[in-house]
Amino acid sequence: MTINQKDNEKKWKDSVEETLKRFPERKEVFQTSSSIPVDRLYYHENDSDYNERLGFPGEYPYTRGIQSTMYRSKYWTMRQYAGFGSATETNKRFRYLLEQGQTGLSVAFDLPTQIGYDSDDPMAEGEVGRVGVAIDTLHDMEALLDQIPLDKVSTSMTINSPASILLCMYIAVGEKQGVPINKLTGTIQNDILKEYIARGTYIFPPKPSMRLITNIFEYCQQNVPKFNTISISGYHIREAGSTAVQEVAFTIANGMAYVDAAIASGLDVDSFAPRLAFFFNAHNNFFEEIAKFRAARRIWARIMKEHYQAKNPKSWKLRFHTQTGGSTLTAQQPDNNIVRVTLQALAAVLGGTQSLHTNSRDEALALPTEESARIALRTQQIIAHESGVADTIDPLGGSYFIEALTDKIESEVTIYLKQIEELGGAVSAVEEGFMQREIHRTAYETQKRIESEEEVIVGLNKYKIDEEVNPELLKVDEKLEREQKAALQERKLNRDKDLVNSTLKQLEWAAKNPEENLIPYILNAVKAYASVGEICNVLRREFGEYGSI
Amino acid sequence: MGKIRVLIAKPGLDGHDRGALVIAQGLRDHGMEVIYTGLRQSPAQIANAAVQEDVDIVGLSSLSGAHLTLFPKVIEELKALNASDIPVIGGGVIPAEDIPVLIEKGINNIFTSGSSIEELANYIIKLVGDEKITPPKKISHIGIAVHSIEQTLPFYRNTLGLVLEGMEEVASEFVKVAFLRIGDTRFELLEPTSESSAIYKFLEKKGEGVHHIALGIEDIKERIRQYSKNGIQFINTEPKPGAHQTKIAFMHPRSTHGVLFELTEESGGKDQ
Repeated sequence: MTINQKDNEKKWKDSVEETLKRFPERKEVFQTSSSIPVDRLYYHENDSDYNERLGFPGEYPYTRGIQSTMYRSKYWTMRQYAGFGSATETNKRFRYLLEQGQTGLSVAFDLPTQIGYDSDDPMAEGEVGRVGVAIDTLHDMEALLDQIPLDKVSTSMTINSPASILLCMYIAVGEKQGVPINKLTGTIQNDILKEYIARGTYIFPPKPSMRLITNIFEYCQQNVPKFNTISISGYHIREAGSTAVQEVAFTIANGMAYVDAAIASGLDVDSFAPRLAFFFNAHNNFFEEIAKFRAARRIWARIMKEHYQAKNPKSWKLRFHTQTGGSTLTAQQPDNNIVRVTLQALAAVLGGTQSLHTNSRDEALALPTEESARIALRTQQIIAHESGVADTIDPLGGSYFIEALTDKIESEVTIYLKQIEELGGAVSAVEEGFMQREIHRTAYETQKRIESEEEVIVGLNKYKIDEEVNPELLKVDEKLEREQKAALQERKLNRDKDLVNSTLKQLEWAAKNPEENLIPYILNAVKAYASVGEICNVLRREFGEYGSI
Repeated sequence: MGKIRVLIAKPGLDGHDRGALVIAQGLRDHGMEVIYTGLRQSPAQIANAAVQEDVDIVGLSSLSGAHLTLFPKVIEELKALNASDIPVIGGGVIPAEDIPVLIEKGINNIFTSGSSIEELANYIIKLVGDEKITPPKKISHIGIAVHSIEQTLPFYRNTLGLVLEGMEEVASEFVKVAFLRIGDTRFELLEPTSESSAIYKFLEKKGEGVHHIALGIEDIKERIRQYSKNGIQFINTEPKPGAHQTKIAFMHPRSTHGVLFELTEESGGKDQ
């Protein structure tokens, strides 16, 4: 063992001792079914570039994971994304999922909420409550989180352009529950760049959008220190058709753009970087996916330490949530999707994810039914409790194949990052359409390979059967849109109109002054029961709207 | 036939446009002209674009579950613009049970996940390729039934002064044919050579006179398919050899308002 490695080994072991005080391991003894003991970590004693390339768990460059004991102490957070219809209905599903052993909430909002339209806006027609829950005012948020203790449950919210508004609503509900603001935990997605690239729920142009994001960084660092202020997402880039390499490259490029913007606004890198989180996809190619997660951690660690000169090790760590690949699901023979999801989830776990959403088998057809959502959660529980893969850290580390793939992904990502840098960074690359074109090219090639059967999709282009695809599907009641609209209109009549108007006026003033942090103004408007649409409209007038590329 | 023009549109707020983009590109590769609207289009905007761009078909994509509301709205908006003749198809995440509802409301067809571009392109070609019917290029000839070519020729040659291009016997039809050029077309004098000839029966029933009009077209098989689809009955649905190495088929006068039309594909598939 080299001296250097001995030092690092000791450092890791010390850190394990520290961790165990707070998070003891799940079992006294880990062993296989044949009573063969399973060690915490396996590694080679004479590996000269071990520290450079892999490092010990919880140690730079984090290839093997960001915690010193990983799943030996605590499994990943099982966090199923849910939300549909009304706030009350979604609240019921949330409470059901928590009873079933889910450990975190993940809120899906409907498209009008995500794009800043009230349910009674003509643009919202047909979309209210469809792909998620409709939130118009703080009233809806109160119903959504009713009887859910915000000091115990962490909540992830898939919200981007209006992220600041939903975060403020969450803070306001916490306040009503009597939970101190600094105890709130959760994540807002808040990643606008990938909206321009792949997901489509943008409102404002890049510049004011970046301002909102850095305002959130700053506000949260001072007031909501345990909240993840952004979830930099490769998930949707992958869904739009990218390769694994493109997914990591574009996500990291976007991450760098946020760091640049925050530093440019005067923030110290170590003040916000520890609260940056990531969100990746778990696709079909098993080993490549595992290597992808490992490579992403290493690349980010190096960038944060070397390029941005961050000092706090927490700034170096890439923490990420994973969702299995929605676009890999087939509408044909939908039960096969359970198997796809299992493999993808396993790849995420072997890649060291911090939290995981497993898709339901029927999602190529509609939103999942309760039964399908339960099977999806059970899939994670089976991997955790029955497979034994969580009993040793980074079980595939040191595999010739995995390490070679990890290295190769890192080097290909680096080439992309150079290209994006030459274009002037991620914001310019997005505006110029670079990433969009790259993704579209890959998506089209994939489609052609599937049609020529060069790529086999079981049940779709091979092993087809005649089937009546008519499983029980979740129905969103047509009535909901009318009811939500009526309720909103009534609420708009029964609130302190002067207070609404004055808080919106103050927000308008703040928006005109780039030095102001917008979050406190938004919080005041939210507490006055101003709606998502009203707040966004004030900002639309000041910031303008982004046209599709 | 000109290029088929397709409008691919994303109604509503849904931002998933991988499918729409892949299909747009795929149809372009199948030789179509494709216009993509981009995200967040209202039904009225889509209908307007369809009319302004003079498209042959509109393809809608929605993955957000709003299809039952938005797709029929596009149909209504097209109707309001007097453009109901533009067919609308749809795709995306659409449960099987919603498909009949959409078709009932005027959507032509739904292609859900797993459909191939090939399938879709063929469907569009079948559906709207036909709408763009190019007219026959010319009257290839006018057939005139006569008892005797020899006795008839002096009128055409001497009185009218037309030039006799040639004579031929078409054994399969039991007729002797004389061709006389007139401008870009010809008269064909038809004389029966046997009692089994259709011309013989014609003469028995109606006496001498105009028997049929032949339309010069390309690709006779495709024409038979197209016209059949529009309810035309053919006397022979398989093309048969005519004079001058042509391929011919007759439409039944019952379905053409009393005129016996012949389709004539000249050799090499080209009209003269």
